[in-house]
Amino acid sequence: MNPTSKPKVAFYWCASCGGCEEAVVDLAEDILNVVEAVEIVFWPVAMDFKKQDLEAMPDRAIAAALVNGAIRTSEQEEMVRLLRRKSQCLISYGACAQLGGIPALANQFEREEILRYVYQEAPSVINNSGTYPQPATPHNGDTVTLPAFRNSVRALDQVVEVDYYIPGCPPTPALTKAALDALLAGRLPPRGTVLAPDVALCEQCPRLESKPKDLSLDAFQRPHRTALDPEKCLLAQGIPCMGPATRSGCEALCIKGNMACTGCFGPTSRVLDHGAKILSCFASALAPKEPQGIDQALAGLPDPVGTFYRYSLARSLLRRKRGPSQTQHFIRGNPP
Amino acid sequence: MSVATPILPMREASGASSAGLHRPRRVTIDPITRLEGHGKIEIFLDEKGNVERAFMQVPELRGFEVFSRGRPAEDMPQITSRICGVCPTAHHLASTKTLDDLYQVEPPPAARKIRELVYNTFMLEDHALHFFVLGGPDFVVGPDAPPQQRNIVGLIQKVGLDAGRKVIGMRRRLRDLIAYFGGKVVHPVLGLPGGVSKALSPQDLPGFQQLAQDSLEFALWTLQVFKQAVLANPEYVKLITAEAYTHKTCYMGMVDEQDKVNFYDGKLRVVDAGGREVCRFAARQYLDHIAEHVEPWSYVKFPYLKDRGWKGFVEGVDTSIYSVAPLARLNAATGMATPPGPGGLRGILHDPGGETGPPHTGQPLGANY
Ligand code: SF4
Ligand code: SF4
Repeated sequence: MNPTSKPKVAFYWCASCGGCEEAVVDLAEDILNVVEAVEIVFWPVAMDFKKQDLEAMPDRAIAAALVNGAIRTSEQEEMVRLLRRKSQCLISYGACAQLGGIPALANQFEREEILRYVYQEAPSVINNSGTYPQPATPHNGDTVTLPAFRNSVRALDQVVEVDYYIPGCPPTPALTKAALDALLAGRLPPRGTVLAPDVALCEQCPRLESKPKDLSLDAFQRPHRTALDPEKCLLAQGIPCMGPATRSGCEALCIKGNMACTGCFGPTSRVLDHGAKILSCFASALAPKEPQGIDQALAGLPDPVGTFYRYSLARSLLRRKRGPSQTQHFIRGNPP
Repeated sequence: MSVATPILPMREASGASSAGLHRPRRVTIDPITRLEGHGKIEIFLDEKGNVERAFMQVPELRGFEVFSRGRPAEDMPQITSRICGVCPTAHHLASTKTLDDLYQVEPPPAARKIRELVYNTFMLEDHALHFFVLGGPDFVVGPDAPPQQRNIVGLIQKVGLDAGRKVIGMRRRLRDLIAYFGGKVVHPVLGLPGGVSKALSPQDLPGFQQLAQDSLEFALWTLQVFKQAVLANPEYVKLITAEAYTHKTCYMGMVDEQDKVNFYDGKLRVVDAGGREVCRFAARQYLDHIAEHVEPWSYVKFPYLKDRGWKGFVEGVDTSIYSVAPLARLNAATGMATPPGPGGLRGILHDPGGETGPPHTGQPLGANY
């Protein structure tokens, strides 16, 4: 086949870990079929195309761009706007792009607090000159530049329009393959769809049968302090499992590793705020009804934001810590 | 982090003017490709066209140091693995071992063996990733090949579809082993203070024993590919050993009590470019030996040997900069703990022409093999 007649596909990463890239490589034998069916025009982790190659392409020349990672810097904003312009279809790939992911936990801290700790206060840092990364560093009449570090971490669709979402931290090869097949066959559902089953993880869980209708929990347990029954529903054993409020599609991977779901597939389509949904599930699962007993049970959840919003803080109703002052910038950047 | 070292000539570099009279003063490589992580390189040239100064910049910050605080300790192995999804197993197990230390518990022997099995399996599949997907195409496809071909697709075209399937199939099997214990292969969940979350069931053992056997054959075959594609080519050997590509720093790696390489446990040993030991310490003492330096032109910090103090970006025996990862690991140890396979492990890069080279040299083009 003439390479130029194949649909063009691009992959890009923003604030992410590279795990989504690995998930694509984990298509394993199937990647050979993908490479056969499409022309990959941009994929920094695996191929040598540069930003200028992307800029040189006509608008909408790319059939689909799969973008992973959250958005924190001005460069990430620029890159996703560029990819949006060059692509007919922009797919949010993975939890960070869809919901903010683990990097969005930084939204619990103010921008200056982050910079100050990382570059000054961390016990490993020796920085007597008080140096911070700067937008522009002069060098012999030239300038070396850095992107601006924005006030908060955002999900992809808080910056550009997104056509589809593939969930997960990272998505599974099976879901990725199904999405690519649907794309190539032109069988995509309505715009805005999350390309995974729209039911809770418990429905796919091998331990579902042991999950009681009425949970009636007195306390939450920590996984290393409990001898876990590898057959029994984790929530029934008091382990905070996000399964009841999390979209299925991963085939219950963490449960098969005998650990609780932490919620990386995000909510189903009927839920606006993933963390609030989990909170309400847990609230109805608690046995104690009087304040003292409730407090005691909640003491088993010392980090509510990190538990309920592990992957979804940017896309939640909370979004970020709002501090009294946003005026002092080590690196100037427009607040979102 | 797996790093593919860019190789001259950099045809794709922007800002390179083709007019013979005006040499470009600045060469920008953006983004750096075929590595995990975000990077950009700015190279400034003098009148003669030689490199006057180069900046390897990391244009982003996520802030794990900050947002990890205030969370339950047992969540750390799953949070810190997100530092890197290509080597999540390394971060996951480093964090898990920190939990052992925090709780002052030793995992029982079976749990320790499971962790080592998972980690050594990861070492194998990750090195295969580097060799076949990230860095290897530079050599196997060739430094002069057009950029569109210098990747896994071009590599499969060069080595053949059967060989390509072999690599992909072996990585899949190895990664399935990690997923068996870890639930997920990218961001595993097995690590708990003092143990692992899941046991090995006896009926699955023979399959893994077969995998171990096949892995050894695979490693030896990869070694042959490397020898044929790289070492048998005098041009590449010249490139690898060229003075311009030699980089003398200190080297850090984990060693066992006999100073042999250990991937899972031991002391961190640092040697200088002459092979002399600089220090040796347990991971929990890292703050006594390692400090981080800040530059205005990168979001990433620069770790260095604290005792020596920050001396800038200089190389040599006295430098406070140290390298880590495969080459450094070999330099910091006196050898491998297991007997060498046919063909030998040490000596491949140290002396690309033969089997017995000087032990302590720095060849960044070979740093990840
Ligand atoms: S709560 Fe967790 S362990 Fe229980 S059925 Fe749902 S997903 Fe499975
Ligand atoms: S079990 Fe939960 S956290 Fe684990 S992969 Fe599935 S959705 Fe993600």
